[in-house]
Amino acid sequence: MAKISELLPRSAIVLNLQSREKFDVIGELVRPLVAAGAITEESEFVSAIVRRENMESTGIGLGVAIPHARTKAVSSIVLAFGRSDSGVDFSSLDGKPSHLIFLIAAPEEQKTEYIMTLARLSKLLRKDEVRIGLNKAGSPDDVLRVIVQHES
Amino acid sequence: MERIMLYVEDTPGMATAATWTLRLAKGMSLRVFALSVVTPDAPRRRDTQTSDAEERAWSGLYEIEDDAFQKNVRISLLFETGDPLQKLISLSTSYDAELIVASADCRLTCSELVRQSSRPVVFVK
Repeated sequence: MAKISELLPRSAIVLNLQSREKFDVIGELVRPLVAAGAITEESEFVSAIVRRENMESTGIGLGVAIPHARTKAVSSIVLAFGRSDSGVDFSSLDGKPSHLIFLIAAPEEQKTEYIMTLARLSKLLRKDEVRIGLNKAGSPDDVLRVIVQHES
Repeated sequence: MERIMLYVEDTPGMATAATWTLRLAKGMSLRVFALSVVTPDAPRRRDTQTSDAEERAWSGLYEIEDDAFQKNVRISLLFETGDPLQKLISLSTSYDAELIVASADCRLTCSELVRQSSRPVVFVK
């Protein structure tokens, strides 16, 4: 199974998210994945992710959110990462805004890989040193270095 | 009733308990809080053991979340480390869950959960 660092293209790392509203942020993160060809039907993917966001919180606390969707509009599992200095309201149960946002897009048929990617990413982001590293990262390469260093 | 707390563990009976909970939640338009608690082990072994246990715990939570999404059931995932019984009791109170559901083969001491919880408890077999 691919590592988190292998699923995150450098072009899909946005260190200075411009949007402050969660659906605009999701749009910012989806665009590079569409440009890379990983998401084949942008509107279908966005509607799947919006539907999930409207049903449940994907903010896992600690300033982290992991919006995700599994649809036919995705050709292979892929991630995007965005960082927001001001924070974005992802309705986390701890009531705090999310500053580190990982978007996961997966094909409909890859349920096991999708679940495992979510689990491994959630575990990774609970480590203080990972969140500190991602908050300090000055470039996409720094982000990938932090992830590579801490994923098992 | 509006909220249910589902206690999640990687036991053979968990899938049945989760299915029962989601069916109930769907039928009654309830919100589900799915809780998984990892127990810290002996300090020397903590890193590797907790890592594996944590990944399994998250994986169990996301399996249920994915199922809930397909069934249009509202769900929130809770991951904690510590004493499972105490975490379950305190979080079901703080999230105002009106019912606790656990698998009958969970590793909690069933009688202790029933005795200490102020909420009704259902064990699903």
